[in-house]
Amino acid sequence: MIVRTKDALRLAGISVIAFCAVFVCTLFLNFNLDMVGVKSLVFSGEAMAFYDAQVLMGNVISSVSGGCLLMTSVVMLLFYIKHYIDAHKKELGILKALGYSNWKIAKGFWVFGLSILTGTASGFAGSYLLMPVFYDAMNGGGILPDITPHFHILLAVCLAILPSLFFGALAVLYGCYKMKCPPLDLIRERTEASKRRRRKRRRAPKESHFLGELRRSTVRSRPALVFFIAFSSFCYASMMQMSVSITKDELAGPMFTAIVFIIGVLLSFVTLLLAVTTVVNANAKSISLMKVFGYSYQECRGAVLNGYRTAAYLGFAVGTAYQYMLIKIMVGFFASTKKAVPETSFNFAGFAAVLVSFVLVYEAVIGFYAMKIRRISVKGIMLE
Amino acid sequence: MIEISEVKKSYGNGESSSMALRGISLKIENGTFTVILGPSGSGKSTLLNVASGLERPDSGSIRYDEMDISNLGDKQLTQFRKENVGFIFQQYYLLPNLNVDRNVKMGADLAGNKEYRQIIEAVGLGGKEEKYPDELSGGEQQRVSVARALAKNPKVLYLDEPTGALDEETGRLVLDYIDRLQRQLGFTVVMVTHNVNIAEMADTVIRMNSGKIVERYAGQARKTAYEIGW
Repeated sequence: MIVRTKDALRLAGISVIAFCAVFVCTLFLNFNLDMVGVKSLVFSGEAMAFYDAQVLMGNVISSVSGGCLLMTSVVMLLFYIKHYIDAHKKELGILKALGYSNWKIAKGFWVFGLSILTGTASGFAGSYLLMPVFYDAMNGGGILPDITPHFHILLAVCLAILPSLFFGALAVLYGCYKMKCPPLDLIRERTEASKRRRRKRRRAPKESHFLGELRRSTVRSRPALVFFIAFSSFCYASMMQMSVSITKDELAGPMFTAIVFIIGVLLSFVTLLLAVTTVVNANAKSISLMKVFGYSYQECRGAVLNGYRTAAYLGFAVGTAYQYMLIKIMVGFFASTKKAVPETSFNFAGFAAVLVSFVLVYEAVIGFYAMKIRRISVKGIMLE
Repeated sequence: MIEISEVKKSYGNGESSSMALRGISLKIENGTFTVILGPSGSGKSTLLNVASGLERPDSGSIRYDEMDISNLGDKQLTQFRKENVGFIFQQYYLLPNLNVDRNVKMGADLAGNKEYRQIIEAVGLGGKEEKYPDELSGGEQQRVSVARALAKNPKVLYLDEPTGALDEETGRLVLDYIDRLQRQLGFTVVMVTHNVNIAEMADTVIRMNSGKIVERYAGQARKTAYEIGW
């Protein structure tokens, strides 16, 4: 199996998500494991309540962010394997026609797991680099004895090695599953969309405009991209608003705010850029054809990119609600320590600022890709 | 009338550049059927691209009645193609996620043509409007691309090897539809092909080699798609 540089670059998105997930989980879980060592030194009721709240908060943040990012990594990995198979259907079909088994072809897909290993290993290493500063910040309250960072092999296995093995195996199994079709279907590049259509034929309204129908079919043909774009705006909305709110309400120090902010920016940009790149590349032929026929640049842009706007703003709305709930939960934990906890309410100013910045950023990214659409050659369709 | 004067076109820069068209001049009357013949690399597809406004020539002019399109900007060229020309390619290039009806509507909407379903019927695809491209044979797909091109009511229809990917029987069928619709609707046809037999269907035949017109003859009696050899 040949994975070209272009394919590998696409997998960078998975690496970034894995990096973020492992980075956050390692910081909090490592701190939790190290806290166990000082539990015997905690005597007062208030300190014990604070200890329990810290452990609970670490576990919640790790499981919420880790779980959410793990799910996204799975979706993204499966999407890229499907994308890879779709892009190489002819070659894979010929291999099958020659007598190679599904298993023999798919076992090479383990290399997709390397993208996870790259992300998890760098996330794990990165968290250890930041750990002294993180521990200083977490120790700041003086309620618990000072905790120093220790290396936990269990975390390395559970957060870096096992996920890589799991994703490698998942890639092979999924590849094997996707190859289960007649070789001719692959050689003739028959799509799954067409098989689904046969099961459920969608009747378009007879008099709808072609551009509207194309926009809908572009979105329907790759539901994973709708998810990625919604996820991207979800990350942007939740992480940005969270970093603004926790600073305003003094719920966390500048380092935690910076981590949330950087992860938000990284996740949202990587996901959005990869999704929109895929949308534009996958539709290059249609755009070229539309230009040949005389459709204007604005019409091409609208048909290909505008259909995702609803998903983007929906993702933003869900992200806003999510971060508000998460902050409420965190405040709830600290309130249980009977320590003075600031009042929190929905941060409308932060919401407005993040919404405006989101609109600007999203439209700028779409505008950038629209330039790419403008550059697609009118003659490109004939150069295949 | 399409009037092409001293059109030159080259690709690449410096030593690696190659001259695809070396000063082509020709006139194509409205409502005629012109076939451009020539071996690979003779410049026939480049001539089609330049004449149809898909590419700009390096020099020379291309006039459609009173309008010179050789110096138009991108926007104006797009508008020109929208209002004047239709295309049919060897590889069909249908939109895979849209059914026959919607693929043809792609052309029809540009011309505000509400009666486009008549063209689907006219190319023999009545009853297959809800089918998707991968559910059609090669010949049917090419007929969808014929219907798509004609649904925008073009003044000129450009065809680049339209039967190149079809067997004889299907190729004749597709040519027959194009021929009959051309006679009925009166649009101009400019077709590039390797198949010398197809030249017998045309009013005007142009032979090209090495970027030049080496032979041009007109006024022959047109044959139907079922009267020519293959």
